[in-house]
This record gives sequence, C-alpha cells and structure tokens, in this order.
Amino acid sequence: MTATTNDRSVPVKAGSSRGFRLPPAFWLIVPSVLFLALFFVFPLLKLVAISLPDGSLEYYHQIFTTPVFLRVIGETFRVSLIVTVVTVAIAYPYAYAMAHGGRAVLLVLTIALLIPFWVSLLLRSFSWVVLLQNSGLVNDFLIATGLIDRPLRLIRTPFGVIIGMVHILLPYAVLPLYTVMKKIDLRLMEASSICGASWLRGFARVYFPLSLPGVMASAILAFTLALGFYITPALLGSPRDMMIAQMIAGQFNEQLNFGLGAALAVVLMVLTAIAFGLFGAVRAALQMRGRRTGEA
Amino acid sequence: MDKLRRIFFWVVVSLTALFLLLPTLIIVPMSFTTTSTLEFPPVGFTMEWYGKVIGAPDWQAALMNSLVVAFAAAILATVIGTAAALALHANRFPGKPIVMGLLLSPMVTPVIVLAVGMYMVFSGWGLVATRLGLVFAHTVLAIPFVVVSVLASSRMVNPSLVPASLGLGAGHWFTFRRVTLPLIMPGVLSGAVFAFITSWDEVVIALFLADAQTRTVPIMIWNQVRTNLDPATAAVAAILIVLSALGVLLSYKFRESR
Repeated sequence: MTATTNDRSVPVKAGSSRGFRLPPAFWLIVPSVLFLALFFVFPLLKLVAISLPDGSLEYYHQIFTTPVFLRVIGETFRVSLIVTVVTVAIAYPYAYAMAHGGRAVLLVLTIALLIPFWVSLLLRSFSWVVLLQNSGLVNDFLIATGLIDRPLRLIRTPFGVIIGMVHILLPYAVLPLYTVMKKIDLRLMEASSICGASWLRGFARVYFPLSLPGVMASAILAFTLALGFYITPALLGSPRDMMIAQMIAGQFNEQLNFGLGAALAVVLMVLTAIAFGLFGAVRAALQMRGRRTGEA
Repeated sequence: MDKLRRIFFWVVVSLTALFLLLPTLIIVPMSFTTTSTLEFPPVGFTMEWYGKVIGAPDWQAALMNSLVVAFAAAILATVIGTAAALALHANRFPGKPIVMGLLLSPMVTPVIVLAVGMYMVFSGWGLVATRLGLVFAHTVLAIPFVVVSVLASSRMVNPSLVPASLGLGAGHWFTFRRVTLPLIMPGVLSGAVFAFITSWDEVVIALFLADAQTRTVPIMIWNQVRTNLDPATAAVAAILIVLSALGVLLSYKFRESR
C-alpha cells in the first residue's frame, strides 16, 4: 500500500502518526470494498459452498448427466442465440441511421432508444403480455386485417419470450454498434463506388468489415445479458421452455433443493463470466486497434 | 435500385423505432378504459382505476416500502459509491483494477444468482423479510452506477484545484466540502437518481427477500401480471412510466448543469 506514496496528484502533509504517507482519499475505498465483500462476494461464495457439500461434485454431476437439466441449459443457449442474432440484425440498420443520418435523425432515434431503456424490464414484459395475449392487440390487428381468422398462440411460447427479450436488449445492442459506426468514414464507400464496386460489394468488402468490432461487441453483450433473463421468460414463456434462471428460482422456491439450485447458479455465473470475459477481450482488441490506426 | 434500397432502409429503421416505443407507451392509454379488461383502443375515459389503486391499502403499503427502501438504498449507495470513486480517481495503488472490477461486477452478475445467494446468507442473518435486507441488496446493485457516474464527473475537474486549495492553507475536509464536492455534484446527483431507479424497479431480489409486509410495488405488479390483467395494473404502470421519465429528465438536467 505504500506504493501510493509515489502518486503526485494529491499532495500530503509529511509524517503522519503511522510514519508513512498516504493521500487521505485512499481510505475512502474501504467502505465500498467491505460492503461488497459482505453483501455481494460472500453470498456468491456461499452459493459455491452450498453447491459442494463436503467437497462433493454430486450436484454438478447430476446437472450434466440428467436430461432435464441439459435440456434447460440447451434451451437457454438456443433462446439466447436466437435473441442475439435477431437483436443485432435489427440493431445494425438502426445504429447505421444514428451514425450517418444527421443530427435530427440521431436525436429522434436516441429518444426512441432511451425511453424504453428507462422503463423497467418488468413493465415492458407486462406490456408484451397485454399485447400478445389471445385477446391482445396483435391478435386483434391480425384478425381485423383478415390475415388470420382465429387468435394465434403468441404468449406462453418461445416466440413470446424471444420478442420480449429482443425488445429489452435492443438498446444494449445498438449503443456499441453506434460507437463503432460513427467513426467509420463514409467516403470510403464513395471511393469503392468510384472504383466500380456495386453498393452491395462496397458494403460487404468495406463497410461491414470496419463495423465488425461493433457487431461482435454488441452480440456478446446481448448474449451475456440474455443468458440470465428471468422475468421475461417467466411471464411470456411456458414452463416447458424454461430457461436456466427459472430453473434456479424453482429449486429455491418450489423444490427446496438448495444444493442443486446453488450448483445451477454457479453454472450460470461461470457461463456469464466466460461470455463477459470475451466482451472485455473484444473491447481491449478494439482499443488497441484504435490506438494503432490513430498513430498511423 | 438505389432509391428502392434507401426507402427499404428507412422503413426498417422507422419500424424499429416504433417497435421500441409503442409497446412501452401503449399501456398508458389502456389505463383509462371503462371496461374491466385491458382494451386498446380504450373504451370511454375514466380515472376510476387510478382512484382504486391509490385508495387500496396493499398498494399504499407497497408504495411506502418501495419509497423507504429506494431512498435508503440511494443514500447509502451514493455515500459509499462517491467515496470509492474519489479514492479511485485520486490514487494509484496495487490491485486497483481488481477493486474497480469488484465495484462494477454487480452490474453484470445475473440478478437471479445474486437473489438466491443473498437469500441464503440473509436468512442466516435475520435480514430476510426486512426492509433493511432489501436496502443492503439494492445498495449492492446501485453502487456501480454511482461509481461510474461520479468517476466520469471527477475526470472533468481540473486536477490542480485540490493542491491549490491545500496549498492556500485549507484543510482536507474544507477542500472536499468547498472545492471537490461542488465540482462533482452533477455526477453525484445523477448517480443518486440512477441508484434510486435501480432500487425502485428491482423485482427479482425482492421476490426472494420480501414477505407480505415488506413487499414493494414491483412485487405487487408481478403478482398482478401472473394472476389477473386488469386496468388497475396498467394505471400503476402508467404512473411508474411517468415517474421514470421524470427521473431521466432530472438525471440529464444534472449532467448538463456541469
């Protein structure tokens, strides 16, 4: 800790009673670290401990050999993957319009992005329940236009879960894409068209590769967040297509199998950490590339 | 061909903007319907559902719980988080990236994992089914937002002001109160708003920690959505949507005032 003495941003009076000098602000870190150690890290460690009774891996063994659990983990990956692909595909043109559409477009699209971002996930899931139910607006609209003659089952299906999750994750996916896209020089596209490339070819060979870091960052972020969704699948999905977070809740609420629930929670924690580690790596690579091209 | 592509592009973007906005806002008009089910377009106009919710003792109790917990969590998170951000800003010390990671990681931990972990630990400490337990849990979730917000605003402060104040003979506490704090105030206030909203909207942890006496507004909504969808729930949702819009405006106002 004495290493802090070489910091020059805050000068300190020499010779405190302890005999070494520390900027007083340093001690301000202590309450937050203690608080999080007690109320954040300790509960997570407790879960790990509960999942390993007497150091036995039986719960993990059970998870990775029982078809029910494997199906739930598989379903979690499947839904998260579909949601990620759909979200990024929708976010891409939206971010493009924000980046290259001019000030007025940017303002309107930013407002449209931020309003739902600030309304709670629970309320937005509630909205989708109302919209997608059998007598809901979506079915009413489809019947009124004559596209269908009987209400479609939209709620309590994977479709309902996916549409609700895409809606919630879209702002998270747009922002990293926008950050990357606004730095792309559109004159590169002009140059490629002057050289005789079609728009599609120019896009595929020039613009898209430049935007790829944004695509990766936004996809990994959406996927990471999707893995842990609980509220949306619980309200819009059917118990048959349960995701891992619902299974964890069920082990604690209904089955009262705390050991197994804790092991499932640890599995989710590790999956999320891996996915988020990837996100960090992509961002670091991006920054390094940015620095290099900045110097060139 | 080029024009067709352009039209297609803007149609897609406009539909996406509608997809983002409509489902969120459509709840508001639905809360004025005179029917007992949620209808769009609403039938007639009545404030009855608002009166029903505002007059109901269980909604009042939940509102009280939500307010107490959110205020307490916001204050606690703002004090702890601001202190941490100041320390991180002013110092270089070994393990700083690890401390930074610790302070931000509640933001990316799946909330269901936190909920069950806290449930197990808090039940041993007698914190389950208490407002205090909810305050501690929500403070954990809110600290990262305060740290990020205060760090951002302390980076805007001219670094030579603090040494100048100390050099002119002011003490550390005086310097903090009269120089540092006023300069980082926009970040502190917008962090406090973030912290409040985080607690105010939180449902997963509250589902595990709260009982019938300590349940918050989101728990009430959750129960309503799972059992019966009536316009009263839409009225609550409409009130909350307006409140979060106000919160956002407030937080942006603080940020701009810097």
